[in-house]
Amino acid sequence: MAADKNPSGSAGPEQAPQKQPPSKEHKKKKDEKKDEDLSDEDLALKQQLELYVERVQDSDPGVQKLALESMRQEIRTATSSMTSVPKPLKFLRPHYGTLKEYFEKMPESDLKKYLADILSVLALTMSAEGERESLKYRLLGSEGDIGSWGHEYVRNLAGEIAQEFQKRQYDDMPIDALMELVQQIVAFHMKHNAEPEAVDLLMEVEDLDLLVEYVDATNYKRACLYLTSSSSYLPSPDDILALDIAYTIYIKFEDLASALRIALYLDNIQYVKQVYTSTEDLLLKKQFSYIIARHGLALELDDDIVADESDREALQDIVNNAKLSEGYLTLARDIEVMEPKSPEDIYKVHLIDGRASASSSLDSARQNLAATFVNAFVNAGFGQDKLMTVLSESSTGGSSGSWLFKNKEHGKASAAASLGMILLWDVDSGLAQIDKYLHSTDNHVVAGALLGVGIVNCGIKNDCDPALAVLIDYINKEDTIIRIGAILGLGIAYAGSHKEEVRSRLSQFLGDPKTPLELLVFSALSLGLVYVGSCSEEIAQSIIFALMDRSDTELGEPLTRLLPVALGLLYLGKQESVEATAEVSKTFNEKIKKYCDVTLMSLAYAGTGNVLKVQRLLGICSQHLDKGETHQGPAVLGIALIAMAEELGLEMAVRSLERLLQYGEQNIRRAVPLALGMLCISNPKVNVMDTLSRLSHDADADVSMAAIISLGLIGAGTNNARIAGMLRNLSSYYYKEAGHLFCVRIAQGLVHLGKGLLTLSPYHSDRFLLSPTALAGLVIILHACLDMKSVILGKYHYLLYILVLAMQPRMMLTVDEKLKPLSVPVRVGQAVDVVGQAGRPKTITGFQTHSTPVLLAAGERAELATDKYIPLTPVLEGFVILKENPDYRDDH
Amino acid sequence: MPTVSVKWQKELFPAVEIDTTQPPIVFKSQLYTLTGVPPERQKIMVKGGLLKDDADWSTLGVKDGQKLMMMGTADEIVKAPEKGPVFMEDLPEEEQVVAVGHSAGLYNLGNTCYLNSTLQCLHLVPELKSALLSYTNSGRSNELDQYSHLLTVATRDLFSELDRSIRPVAPLQFLTVLRKKFPQFAQQQNGTYMQQDAEECWTQLIYALSQSLRSSESSEVPAAVKTLFGIDLVSRVHCAESGEESLETESIYALKCHISQDVNHLHEGLKHGLKSELEKVSPSLGRSAIYTKESRISELPRQDNVFDCSVCAFLLEKGVESKGKNFAGNMSKVDYPLELDVYEFCSEELRQKLQAPRQMLRDIENAKLGLKTQDKSNASKANECNMPQPEGSVGNQGEPSSNSHDKANSSDGKTQLTGIYDLVAVLTHKGRSADSGHYVAWVKQESGKWIQYDDNNPILQREEDITKLSGGEDLNCAAYFTTELISTNDASMLNVTGTWHIFACIKLASCEFGVEERVWM
Repeated sequence: MAADKNPSGSAGPEQAPQKQPPSKEHKKKKDEKKDEDLSDEDLALKQQLELYVERVQDSDPGVQKLALESMRQEIRTATSSMTSVPKPLKFLRPHYGTLKEYFEKMPESDLKKYLADILSVLALTMSAEGERESLKYRLLGSEGDIGSWGHEYVRNLAGEIAQEFQKRQYDDMPIDALMELVQQIVAFHMKHNAEPEAVDLLMEVEDLDLLVEYVDATNYKRACLYLTSSSSYLPSPDDILALDIAYTIYIKFEDLASALRIALYLDNIQYVKQVYTSTEDLLLKKQFSYIIARHGLALELDDDIVADESDREALQDIVNNAKLSEGYLTLARDIEVMEPKSPEDIYKVHLIDGRASASSSLDSARQNLAATFVNAFVNAGFGQDKLMTVLSESSTGGSSGSWLFKNKEHGKASAAASLGMILLWDVDSGLAQIDKYLHSTDNHVVAGALLGVGIVNCGIKNDCDPALAVLIDYINKEDTIIRIGAILGLGIAYAGSHKEEVRSRLSQFLGDPKTPLELLVFSALSLGLVYVGSCSEEIAQSIIFALMDRSDTELGEPLTRLLPVALGLLYLGKQESVEATAEVSKTFNEKIKKYCDVTLMSLAYAGTGNVLKVQRLLGICSQHLDKGETHQGPAVLGIALIAMAEELGLEMAVRSLERLLQYGEQNIRRAVPLALGMLCISNPKVNVMDTLSRLSHDADADVSMAAIISLGLIGAGTNNARIAGMLRNLSSYYYKEAGHLFCVRIAQGLVHLGKGLLTLSPYHSDRFLLSPTALAGLVIILHACLDMKSVILGKYHYLLYILVLAMQPRMMLTVDEKLKPLSVPVRVGQAVDVVGQAGRPKTITGFQTHSTPVLLAAGERAELATDKYIPLTPVLEGFVILKENPDYRDDH
Repeated sequence: MPTVSVKWQKELFPAVEIDTTQPPIVFKSQLYTLTGVPPERQKIMVKGGLLKDDADWSTLGVKDGQKLMMMGTADEIVKAPEKGPVFMEDLPEEEQVVAVGHSAGLYNLGNTCYLNSTLQCLHLVPELKSALLSYTNSGRSNELDQYSHLLTVATRDLFSELDRSIRPVAPLQFLTVLRKKFPQFAQQQNGTYMQQDAEECWTQLIYALSQSLRSSESSEVPAAVKTLFGIDLVSRVHCAESGEESLETESIYALKCHISQDVNHLHEGLKHGLKSELEKVSPSLGRSAIYTKESRISELPRQDNVFDCSVCAFLLEKGVESKGKNFAGNMSKVDYPLELDVYEFCSEELRQKLQAPRQMLRDIENAKLGLKTQDKSNASKANECNMPQPEGSVGNQGEPSSNSHDKANSSDGKTQLTGIYDLVAVLTHKGRSADSGHYVAWVKQESGKWIQYDDNNPILQREEDITKLSGGEDLNCAAYFTTELISTNDASMLNVTGTWHIFACIKLASCEFGVEERVWM
């Protein structure tokens, strides 16, 4: 077939001169016909075409050729509405068979190819389903310009190619000829703003690489957008391939910030480095560093990336999140929420009319503990509050810590750790303020202070590694609670960093069969956090051995459920990589085998949207279990973790969960609110809010407590007035159920997280990237909440601080080229899905214009409202560097 | 000798020289002079952890110009306060009760909500409690039957248990005794105990208690229950045909409120209740004739010296005559006030007795409202008020009012009846009939808060909601109560017998009122 290309190529120029005579003749004949029947134009056309058909079968090649040319002309010039078949095609319908027959009889010649072309077009409407005759004749034809037969023809052809391709692959037949055609079609589509069709065709024929050749500067964005958004619906490994192509295209057109997003999505360090080395622009590299910092990737910049040392230091500082606290406080000052808030400001008891619960003169330890958490969550990162820091400023040190001692035993640990939350990200002054608690004589306070050190350093990396230096000495102390504080602190501070020092020190606990269970669990969790998504064989082995060694009774402890989670974290989002470990987990003790299996699977596929896995988990949920089996809880959570990847799957999961709620057994129902909370985290969807509100009054205490916490999760950091109102009412409804009330308080604290400046959503960058550390933190909390009574309401409430891993400011802060905050007008509105849409649709709707810094809610998008600056990243979130637009002219 | 920069909090000390021949403690004292942080509190981050005092500089590999970070403050170390706070969770159970602010609930032992709610209402009355407390196990007199005695003892024990506990209490013993004493409460249906009528339970219980408490306390205190709940009525029986008239006195424990179509406030219902028609043989006419009976309260429940309040119970009862036919329109909503003034229903003599304290009350209220007037105007005001009173002389009325002021101030124990009662407890029923559905008690605590006792589950409520219990189509409670109302009417239709149902079938609107006299000052 390749040989045919030449004649077909020459056919083009030949056609042009020949066109004149037939059209003349054609006119003459038409006149004759009109003489006979002037009134009916259609009839004339019909007779005309019939004549052509007859003449095509003429023995004289000249006549044949003329007839074919004329027929071709008729078809091409036929303009018709979109809804009906063009007239010439309609009139030729009865003769399709005749022409086909004649074609078979024709000897090989150019004319035969001409006829094949015409038959190919006719087959568009005539060919029987599945025959793919259009394609057949196209391949036999002259291979002229494919677009000349119109869009519909090309589209039809593309469909037939896809079918033919599959068949040929199945039969192991050559596909070269098809690929020729594919190239033509792709080129045609790309030229005519039909990038989705081109991408679809290439996906069908499994040759996406071709796309790179055909995209140009005008359409690469749309093509890549289509590629990236469709990748979430593609089976593995096609999705990776699609993103790879998108990455290549972005690199090709030097849209490096977009390329970086893909690189981060693929979790491909090579790509990330390639993005850095693809440009010399330092400012752009700074922008990259901001994106990486938000993602939480621990990246060590080396000489190849930036040669100059001081530049490298500046970039590394950004990657290390060293300036996060500063930016966050800038935002807070701009929005004027620096004023610290007390828990009472959040409870708003005065709004609960007349039902204020008996405010007894006595302190309730549980209520004070709740207030500690609320205070920590609400004032997170602000560096000041009304309980913990307020007194430390006054010179009389004696009274400081009075709130601390209003907590009981392990409550004091949480209180001391709350200081870390309040001073979040501010390593320098944070450590200074926590320091004095490290010298306390009370073990609980020391433990809390150690945890606080870890919290302050969450997501911040520092060359001096203060957290490691301080904490490492405490992990071998006598007291268990101190060790737990230090271990958990390390896990939080170095989450996702793959820090070797942490591994070497913590692994010893896993290997030692004498390690107390709680220490074992927290060590495993910390290692899971530090090595999240690393697929580290070594750590997996040691956790597996620990799980095998432990006795039946220990495996029955509520805290044990976090061991499989720790194991799963190592494979978070790594899909197939988990299989070997999952195989080993089948040999575990009966008690934990299934739990482990389900947890591993759900974590490995978390954030992938893998439909098959969701179906499997739903299958697990539909079984009716023997008593004592608990693996359905993680299965329900798994559905949420996997399905939250994209919007459609999310909606479906919400509906499926509603079913589970109605038909599921109690241990399933208990997990459903948490799953809903995960699906809509920091995104208070009204339907989910209503469901949770209903469940928060459920007769089953576990269901209602989970629903209350989940109300907090979906409203986290939104200040959502409706949820706040619901929680206030719940606080009066449950005023004498200590456990419920505690949950309500925590939820209230979450809703006002960082006074509404923070989000818990692990997704960022237009909901495209998933931060693994943030997800890891949420997963631990969800699993801990599966057994609320013995974990969160028991003595492990400080696990709640793991949420800090998911906390990020939901801000858009624009900075100038010197990285100083710069206020510019931006439009903030509801994001519109523009994938595959024609033209240049608006990307946001219902927008308002603000000046930066601004807050972005879930599903919102920002765009600059001025041409004066050019953002260095297409997604305006977090820190955005603005460059002055050289083409900008001030109109005024 | 390398020079390093040391970062401490937000400060940076550039160019600090390290003498590598000296132990690190020397370096630390250098920093002490710079920062004021004592060496033992300094934490200096170097490679591989903190800088130890005895470390060797050469192994640490400190380079020239390296940045070190120091942590530590000179702040005072936090010490635990000498006396830690006391937490509610640590207290013994009895003390927690005080903190909770209300007493415990009662477990439902199988259709016993009627009993639970009745007991919660009674439990509220402190005088009854004290009367019960003084009742001894041995103090049984001969005329009292054994079960009454046991019941009284059981009540006493139960009440004291309620006071002590914060967890719900199971009234097992009480129930057993009650069922023995009143076998009708032990009726069974399909093997389970039937739901009973709370009003009947109330009446029987009060009766039993009145018997036992009277007998036990001999002459000293006449009868606790009588003083607490008893109402003396003077009835004038009048025959329209013959013109005969006679006076009767009787003592009852409850005022009845008939609910008919035209009654939509408690006052009207009570008025109806005090007026009745009866047929009896007229001696003068020699045949039966219709007599109208009009009752007036001659003696209100009152309390002697010890307490400042007395309690009387009113019973709202649905007049069954209000025919079922019209019941859709008969969704009578009976409002009731949080404060009931029975003045209107009192006999003339009683009214006079009430006159003075009422005046005083008014004065106090005026004073509270800031309408403090001089004595003169006060007196004249009093005069005005007293004018309509037929037998009240102006002079007489004015004096006691000021006298009673003093009296009230000086003799704090002395009670004055004013005829004004506060609402302290409501007992409601929801459900289709008296034999089914659910009883709930709403009780006002001493702290002024309302608690809804739903069996073992006390729930805090708002005062506004209490008045909404009246059964109308109020928005808040409507869904809850309207349905009941209709079903209630169904039930009353079924039970139409032409006479008054003593144990009302009706519970929606049948509320029992404990009305507490306003406490002075």
